[in-house]
Amino acid sequence: MEQYQYIVDILSYVCIGIGIFFWFWGTSHLTKNRSVLFKLHSLSVADTLGSMAIVFGLLLKIPSEWPLLILAIISLAIWNTMLGYVLAYCSSTRGDHD
Amino acid sequence: MVGYLNLILRLGIWFLLTADLSLANILIGIFVALILPQSYKNKGALKDWLKALSETLIAIPQAYMEALEIIIRPHNYEAIIMEQVRPNRTPGLIFLDIFVITFTPKTIVLKYHEKGQYEVHHVQRRKKS
Amino acid sequence: MNIIFMNVILIAMILALLIPIVEVCKDNNVWQKMLALSSISSKTTMMIFIVSVLRDDWMIGVVAVIILSVGNAGFMLMAHIMKRMRNA
Repeated sequence: MEQYQYIVDILSYVCIGIGIFFWFWGTSHLTKNRSVLFKLHSLSVADTLGSMAIVFGLLLKIPSEWPLLILAIISLAIWNTMLGYVLAYCSSTRGDHD
Repeated sequence: MVGYLNLILRLGIWFLLTADLSLANILIGIFVALILPQSYKNKGALKDWLKALSETLIAIPQAYMEALEIIIRPHNYEAIIMEQVRPNRTPGLIFLDIFVITFTPKTIVLKYHEKGQYEVHHVQRRKKS
Repeated sequence: MNIIFMNVILIAMILALLIPIVEVCKDNNVWQKMLALSSISSKTTMMIFIVSVLRDDWMIGVVAVIILSVGNAGFMLMAHIMKRMRNA
């Protein structure tokens, strides 16, 4: 049991590390001179997938709070994706009503 | 059958929110799930829903794969591609489709045309003429 | 040991948070600003999560989940309003 705890701990830090790496990679594109849509692609890597990896790492660390953390993962995925769609839609269409 | 799926979804969110499996809470959850309004027309087939849900689950590892691809090999070119919507999609299924496309980092849905097309924005490695 | 790791993670997150903050101040285009602001909002939420783990206080975590859903909904509304204003 003891060494399993050790492995799970390392795995959770690896997940959080991957998440933070995604954050840095995705956010570094914000400073470049690209279109909004291109930045949106890299932000979806950083903010959705990176944050999901971080929350998953926390879930491995503290399994007793799983309902809250799973809710966090679900709302992260759904809301960030919808925000990406809405931002893409609103920033790209010009002048035409639907 | 789709009604049951809807009910299970609502109950799942309720239990995740409250994190409490006592009898009183289960009864309150079922009551709230039944009392929330639902649309009775145009529900779509159960098979389509199950397929769409499994696609959503598959999309998660696929999204991480695409993220790694973008990181390792820079995709510097952008393109807008029109995609056809599969026939007989109800609004809920179209929402799930748009969700899956936008969730994967290489593609973002720009706009949904009423005539049955998505406008999808891609990032690519090479310029396609 | 654990506390040290969590503090390192928190400091790395603060450094990542600085990038979009600088970007918001620098950029003039409204949509680029919105992008950076949305990035700030989700990063701050994750930081609140880590703090709630550090302090072992799950009420803070509940606040983070609420911010996550409500804050993004507010952003969507704002994007739609800005689109309407530009079209009008």
